[in-house]
Parts: sequence; C-alpha cells; structure tokens
Amino acid sequence: MTARQTAESGFLSKTALLIRKDLKVEARGRDTLPPMLAFCLTVTLLLAFSLPGNTAMRGAVSIPGGTVALADVIAGFLWITVLFAGLIGFARTFEVERDEGALDALLLVPLDRSGLYAAKAVSNLVYIVTVQVLLVPVFALFFSLGLGAGWFVLALVIALVDIGFVAVGTLFASLAAQTRSRELILPILALPVLVPIFIAAVELTSDLFAGGGLETVAARGWFGVLIVFDVVFATVGALAFEFAID
Amino acid sequence: MIHLRGLTVSYGTTMALRPTDLTLYEGVTGLFGPNGSGKSTLLRVLAGLLAPSRGSALLGDTPIRSSDESIRRRMGYVSHSSGLYGRLTVGENLTLFGRLYGVASARVDEVLELLDLNDRRNTPVGHLSAGLKRRAAVARAVLHEPDVLLLDEPYANLDDDASARVSDAVKAWRAPGRAAIIATHGAKRVKTFADASLIVQRGRVISYRRRTGTGYEVAR
Repeated sequence: MTARQTAESGFLSKTALLIRKDLKVEARGRDTLPPMLAFCLTVTLLLAFSLPGNTAMRGAVSIPGGTVALADVIAGFLWITVLFAGLIGFARTFEVERDEGALDALLLVPLDRSGLYAAKAVSNLVYIVTVQVLLVPVFALFFSLGLGAGWFVLALVIALVDIGFVAVGTLFASLAAQTRSRELILPILALPVLVPIFIAAVELTSDLFAGGGLETVAARGWFGVLIVFDVVFATVGALAFEFAID
Repeated sequence: MIHLRGLTVSYGTTMALRPTDLTLYEGVTGLFGPNGSGKSTLLRVLAGLLAPSRGSALLGDTPIRSSDESIRRRMGYVSHSSGLYGRLTVGENLTLFGRLYGVASARVDEVLELLDLNDRRNTPVGHLSAGLKRRAAVARAVLHEPDVLLLDEPYANLDDDASARVSDAVKAWRAPGRAAIIATHGAKRVKTFADASLIVQRGRVISYRRRTGTGYEVAR
C-alpha cells in the first residue's frame, strides 16, 4: 500500500457507497420518485371514482362476469398500481449512469458485480418502499381500509413482495439498459416473471382486507410462495447480473 | 506488456478489428487512424469492456476480461463520455471513485491540482463545459494510478492550455511497467511525448513503431 492509497473498503462498504451515490443523485435530480408517485396518486384517484361507495369489504361488486368481493378488487388495484409504478422506477435504474457514460467507469471498479446488483436493488427498494409508504395511507383513506392489527401483516406482505419485485426488476432493468427501447423491453421481460409474486400479493392482501388475521392469511400457503420466490430471484439476480450488464 | 493474439472483433457482419497479433510495450503509445478505423473498439477490448469475437488480449500472461477484478483494478479508461455522474460535483465524483479504488483523499486533491480543476471541485459535472468534462474524466482515470491507461480522444474540445494539462497528467502518471494508449486525431499533441505510435485503418493495424534516439523503428 503506497502513501497515496488507503485501506480499501470492503464489499459492503463499496456497495453502501454506491447506494448513497444513487440516493444523493435522486435527491438532487428527483427523476425517479416523482413520476412514480404521480402515477400512483392519479391511478388511485381514478380507481376511487370507479368503485361504488359505502360497500363493505366483504360485500360484492358487480363485474361483467358476475360478482367479486370488494376486498379482492381493492387488493388487485393496490398491487397493480405498485407493479406499474415500480416498472416506471426500475426502467430508470441505469439512467443515472447513462447520463454521462458512467456505466463503463462503474464496470471497471474493483467490486464484484453482485455488489453493483445489490446497490441498484437496494436503491430500487428504497424508491418502491417510499412509494408504498405514501400510497397505502392514500388507499386506506379512499377505500376506508381499517385493518387494526392487520397493518403489521400487511407490512410483512409488502416486505416479502418488494424483495422479489426489486430482485427481478433490477435484473431485467440491467438487460433492458443495453437496448434502445428499454422502457418497452423491461415490462415485456419482467411481467411474465412477476406474475406469481403479484398473484400471491393479491391473494394475501385480499384476505387481510376481508378481515383475516395472520393465521387465516398464513394458512393458505402464499407466504411460502413469496419466500421461495424471493430467495430464488435474489440469488439468480446476483449471479446473473454479471452476464446481463456485460 | 499487452499481447494481442489473433484479436478479432465483429459487429454482425462488420469486422471492426481484423485478426491482429501484436505486443504493445510499456510507455505511451499514440493510437491514430481515421474515424471508424477501430480505435475505440480496440480500447474497449483492452479495457475488458468488450469481449473479442475471436482471439484474446492479455495483460502480461492474464487474459483481459471484465469479470476479472484484479484486471479491472489495473485499468484506467476514458471513453468519449466523461464517465462521471452529472449531478455530483467534480470533487464528489473523484472522492466516490477514489473510495471505490481505495485511494487516499490526498490523491484526489493532487489529481484536481494536476488537471487544474481545483476551482471546479464543487461544480456539478453536468454544469461543466465539454473541455472541462474531458479533464475531469482524465482525472478520474489516473486517480488510482492504473498500470494501463486507455484514453479515447482525451484532447477533444480542449484548448492548448487544457491539452497541456492532460498531457502533463499522463506524463506524471508515466512510470516503468505502465502502458498508456491514447487514441486521438491530434497526433501532434501526443507525438511530443509518446514512446510509440500505432496506426489502424479499416480495422487493421498497419503500423506500430517505437521511438528510438533518432526517430521511430518498426516494432512488428
């Protein structure tokens, strides 16, 4: 080690540096979160007008094919909104590097590619959690969600969904970043893979909205689906990122 | 120091670099050639950012691959872009890359001074002129004192003073066991201090000459 060098940071420190960098750039540029939030609020407002007022959560809503429980409809609305808001944000994952061609410089730093992946995934997680922290209360207000102790279970569901969502979204964002029509490519690649996780999310959340507790919700096995999905795609993402980004 | 063994790069049916066997020696090599001759492609391959279609590039005995962290650490590369974050200041960018490479903060100050960027330390890179961005990009590339320095048109948009600063940075970085390859159209600027010249045309190396006491000699 020469006088010009210092003890080199480890994997976690370098990953943390890159996360801080992404969040600092976002704080200054506000390029990612505002479009995500604007989309969420607009969609929520439109959905609030589309549902009949004063319907109980267990009540039925008429649809062309018959009726469906209001809890199922609102759970679907919530997760579809999160899904598309997330895709808006994830499509911008590497825009900060594209701006001045920083991706080449980043790819040459002595950090394992899984560190780059983890940094981007955590930054995306921060964005999606920020969106949900604002979106869920707005949903609660517009759709009169009263979950009581169920809020903690909802937080658990959101956490498990988000891990898988950003794992897949970040991986495919790295693939899409190499293409010209990345905003178009990302949903085409990611949506088929994300279907199981969002089915699980809707199933768990509709049970919660219908008044189910942790035992009722857990009994249906969807938590297991989410956990398996998270583990598989976080692992696949970390391993495959190198091939995707190179 | 850098060995090209049957190195070939194709983009679809277009051959950007025709099969090349060559050993590049330490010191500064000026890489010359018209637009589209394969200069940038060669630099990207040497940086490990582009995999050759056939053949290989080796740094010493080690194949140059972007997956090899020890190779990446030894590379300093500037492309046509600055390779920096536009919303971060020059100082923040250099500090970020310095910490990623394990470089002491004093080295950041040194490089800022070397490229006359001290008064731009707190300016966001996105607000800099094209010429200042080039200097900041070179500062980033030499920051960790790489063994191999690859500069793609570092003199673009620079006036004479700024060009001299870039050349001074390369001269200050130069040391035994290190190799720089500088692709440029401004041959005059590089030839004053280059140890060798490499000319490519239509993807083919047509000349590699090393400087001697009295002029240049063919090196291949």
